[in-house]
Amino acid sequence: MKGDTVTFSERMLKIDRRIIFLVIGLCTLLPLLYPVGLPIKISSEVRGVYDHIESLPEQSVFLLSIDFDPASKPELYPQAIALLRHAFRKNLRVITMTLWVSGTGMADQIVTQVAKEMGKEYGTDYAFLGWSPGGQAVIINMGQDLYSAFPSDYGGRPTKELPVLNGVRNLKDVGYMVDLGAGKPGVEEWYVFGKDKYKFELGGGCTGVMAPGLYPLLRSGQINGLIGGLRGAAEYEILIDHKGQAVAGMDAQSATHIAIIVLVIICNVFYLSLRRAARAQGQAG
Amino acid sequence: MIFLRRQLPLLITLVAGLLFAAQYYVPHPASEQMLTSATKWLQIIGGFALVLGVTSLFHLHAVKIRRQEAGWGYSLVLYAGMLGTIAVGLWADGKESIEGVMTSFGWVYNYMMVPLQGTMFAILAFFIASAAYRSFRARSREAAVLLVAAVIVMMGRVPLGEYLVPLSGDVASWILNVLNASVRRAILIGVSLGAIALSFKIIFGVERSYLGGGKE
Amino acid sequence: MKGQGGEVRRRVRQGWTSPAWLLSLMMGCTGSLLLSCLVFAQEPISTPPEIHVFDTPNDGGGSLTVQWAPASWDGPDVRYQILVGDASSTDPSTFTVMAEFPANSKYLKDTETAWWTRDVDKSWHHIVVRSAKGLEIKDGTSYAVSVATMRDDQRLFTPVIVATPSPDWFNWNQLNNLIIAASFGGLIFYTISHAKRNNIFLRRIPGLDAVDEAIGRATELGKPVLYLTGAHDLHDPSTVAAAVILGKVAKRAALYETELMVPHREPITMAVCQEITKQAYLEAGKPDLFKEDANFFITSDQFSYAAAVDGIMLRKKPAANFFMGHYFAESLLLTETGASTGAIQIAGTDADHQLPFFVTTCDYTLIGEELYAASAYLSKEPVQIGTLRGQDIGKAVILTAIAVGTVLATFGAVTGAEWPQIMLDFLSDVK
Repeated sequence: MKGDTVTFSERMLKIDRRIIFLVIGLCTLLPLLYPVGLPIKISSEVRGVYDHIESLPEQSVFLLSIDFDPASKPELYPQAIALLRHAFRKNLRVITMTLWVSGTGMADQIVTQVAKEMGKEYGTDYAFLGWSPGGQAVIINMGQDLYSAFPSDYGGRPTKELPVLNGVRNLKDVGYMVDLGAGKPGVEEWYVFGKDKYKFELGGGCTGVMAPGLYPLLRSGQINGLIGGLRGAAEYEILIDHKGQAVAGMDAQSATHIAIIVLVIICNVFYLSLRRAARAQGQAG
Repeated sequence: MIFLRRQLPLLITLVAGLLFAAQYYVPHPASEQMLTSATKWLQIIGGFALVLGVTSLFHLHAVKIRRQEAGWGYSLVLYAGMLGTIAVGLWADGKESIEGVMTSFGWVYNYMMVPLQGTMFAILAFFIASAAYRSFRARSREAAVLLVAAVIVMMGRVPLGEYLVPLSGDVASWILNVLNASVRRAILIGVSLGAIALSFKIIFGVERSYLGGGKE
Repeated sequence: MKGQGGEVRRRVRQGWTSPAWLLSLMMGCTGSLLLSCLVFAQEPISTPPEIHVFDTPNDGGGSLTVQWAPASWDGPDVRYQILVGDASSTDPSTFTVMAEFPANSKYLKDTETAWWTRDVDKSWHHIVVRSAKGLEIKDGTSYAVSVATMRDDQRLFTPVIVATPSPDWFNWNQLNNLIIAASFGGLIFYTISHAKRNNIFLRRIPGLDAVDEAIGRATELGKPVLYLTGAHDLHDPSTVAAAVILGKVAKRAALYETELMVPHREPITMAVCQEITKQAYLEAGKPDLFKEDANFFITSDQFSYAAAVDGIMLRKKPAANFFMGHYFAESLLLTETGASTGAIQIAGTDADHQLPFFVTTCDYTLIGEELYAASAYLSKEPVQIGTLRGQDIGKAVILTAIAVGTVLATFGAVTGAEWPQIMLDFLSDVK
C-alpha cells in the first residue's frame, strides 16, 4: 500500500501539463457562459483615478494615452472603455493618442466606439491624435508644443484647427492625464518625461503583472491612482455604474485563481507525503 | 578611419551627454528649445529605425530562400505576409476603417494580428498554472512563505476569494502596498544606480561596448 | 435659627431691588457689552507694510513673484488682489486683476521651495503671477504691480512696484540634485581608478557555478546550448551584462565543443555578440569551431520572437537555456517551454516584473544587480568591478540617508522642532 501511495504521489507530481491546461480552460470558459456575479470591493488605488476625474470641472482637458497592443487587450481594453465613458459623461474634452504603433488601429476603434455610444462629436468633444514615433521623445515634444508633436490628427486634420484643443498648447494645459500602459513606453515614461517636467496630474492603468511594480509610484504620490489589470477595470466599471467586459470576466478570473490555489495545495500535499515516505524509508533503511 | 569609428562617436557622446544632462538643470527657454529640437530628431531617427528592422528581416530571409536552407518555405510565407500587409496598408492609406467601413488593412489587423497576439498572451494563463503547480512547493521555509503569500494574494485579488475569506482582500492589499512596494523600491534603487553609473561611463567614454568591435 | 434664616432671605429679597444692586447690574452689563464689542469689532485693514515684487527665480521666465508679510487682519473675510499693469502707469485701480484670494491663504510654506532659495519666512504670503486671459507676462517687459487689501466695500492699494520677468540659466532648487549626481559620478570614477590599482573582493555569485554545470550537462547529452540576450539593445546595462556573460559561456562551449545558439531581437546587439563569440572561441583555442550563424537575428517583434525561440527549443531540445538581459511578457513563454523540454535553465534579469516568472521556472536566477555583478565577476575588468563597488557605496549612502532621515523626521514630528526639516530638505526633490 505504501509503495502504491508513493507511486501515486510521484505520478501526480509529474502530471501531464495538458490536464492542468484543461482545468484552467474549463475554469475560464464555464463562468463566462454561466456568470455568477459576485460583489467586487473597490480599492483605494482605483478610486484615486475615479475621484480625480469626478472632481474635474466640465470642459477640462483629459488626455488618455492608449499604450498597449492587441496582446494586452483583454486587460486594458475594458479600462479604456470605462475611462472614456466616465470622461464623456463628465463632458470633459477628451484627447486620445498612442505611443505604440501596433495599437493604433485598436485605439482608434475604442475611441470611436465609445464616442458614438455617448453621442460625442469628433473635433468638438474629442480627438484621436494617432501615433508618433519616438516614445519618450513624443512626450517631451508634447510637453513643449503639442502641435509640433502632432501637427495633424489620425485622420490627417490639422490639430490647430480642432476646437477640442482650444487653449491647449502643451502638456501643462492638460487637466488630467491617464496612461494605459502594457510595457515601455508606459506609465513610468509618462511620469519621468511628462509629469516630472511639465507638472500635470497623472493616473495609471496597467496589466495585472505590471501593477505591483507601479506601487512605489503610487505610494509616493507620483501617480494619484492605479487601475491594475482586469480587476481594476471591473472596479472602475462598478464605480461608473456601467458593468461591462471586466465585471463579466471577474467570475472567470475568480474560478481560475481558485483552481490554481487548489492545484498548488494538492501538489504540496503529494510533495509532503512523498517527502515523509522518503524520510520513513531512509530511517527504516 | 579610427577617428571616424572611435574618437568622433566618443566626442559626440561626450558633448551630447553633458549637454542634455545639464539641460535638466537649466530652465531657460533656449535649453528647452534645444531639447525640443533633439527630441524631434530622435522621432525622425526612430522612424528610420523601423525601416532598419524591416530591411534586416528582408535580407535575412532572402538569404534563406536563395540558399534553400531548412525551413525556407516559412521564409516565403513571411515574405508573402509582409509584402501583402504593406500592399493593403498602402492601398488603405494606413487606415483600419474609413467612415466606419473596415478596409482590407483593417481586416488583416482585426482578424490576423489581434487574434494572434491575443493568443500568445493568453497562453501565459495556462503556463503560469503549470509553472505554479510545478514550482510552488514548500521545499524550504522561504519557499513556504512564498507559497502562503502567493495564495493570500491570489485569494484577495478576486471576488470569490474575498467572498470566501473576507480578510484576504485587506491582507493582499497590505502585502502589495507595504511589502511588495518596499522591495520593488529597493530593486528600483539598485537598478537605477546601475543605469546612472552606466550613463556616466558611456558619456565619459569609459564604457565603449555600444560601439561594437573587439577589445582595443 | 429659623427665624434668622427667614430674616436673611428677607434681606436678600430686599437686596435684589435695592439701588446698589441695580447699579452693580447695570455696570456689569455695560462692561460685558463693551468687552463683546472689543472682541467682535473688526480690525481695521491696511495695506501690507512690506512687499517684495521680483522676477520669479529658477524658472524659464514669463512670471513675477509677489511676497508680503502676514498681517493681523488676515482672515476669511478679507481678500487680497494682485493687480498688474503697464510699467508707466501709477494708478493701481486701472490695473488688471491677475489673482484674488482670501487673506488667510497663499503662503510660502504651502509651496515647494528649497530652504537655500528662500529669503523670507515661510509664513509670508507668496504668489507667482503668470500670463492670464487679461494680460500676458512677457520676458524683458517691465510691469507695475500692486497688492490690494479688500473687505466689503473697502479696497486699499499698496504703492506700485515695477519688476521685469526674465528667464534664468540655472534652477537653484535643484542644486542638491546636481551635487548628489556629481558626487555619485565622481565616486564611480574614483572606484574605477581604485579597482585598476587594487584587487577588490567580489563574492562569488551562486548562479555562476551553475553555468559550468549546465554547459557540461549539454556536452554530455550532445545537445546544444541556447543563450538569449533579452529584449533591449546595448544602451541597456542588462544587455551589456548579458553580452559579457555570453563571452564566458561561449568560451566554455568552445572548450567542450558544444553547439551554441544565440537568437537575437536586435541587429546591433547581434553584431556585437558575434564579435564577442568569435573572440571567445579564439581565446579557447578553437577558432575553427566558430560558426558565423551561431548568432542570428529573428525579429524585433516580442511574441514573434518568443514563438520562434519556442520552436527552436521544441525542435532542437537544447540541454541548457540561458536567459540573460531584460525581458517582458515573453519571459514565461520562453522559460516554461524550456522547462517542458527538461533543460536546465539559468536566468538573470533586472526586469523586476518578470522576476517571479523566472524564479518559478528556472533553476537559478540572478536578480537585478546580481546580473551586473556576474558580468563584473566573470570579466574581472577593473571598470566593471569598480563600477559595482561604487554602486554598493551609493546604496550604503542611500540606506544611511533613509535611516537618518527616518529618525530626523520622527524627531521633528514628535518635538515640533524645525531644524530636522532643514536636513531633510536637502534630500527632497524640488523643481
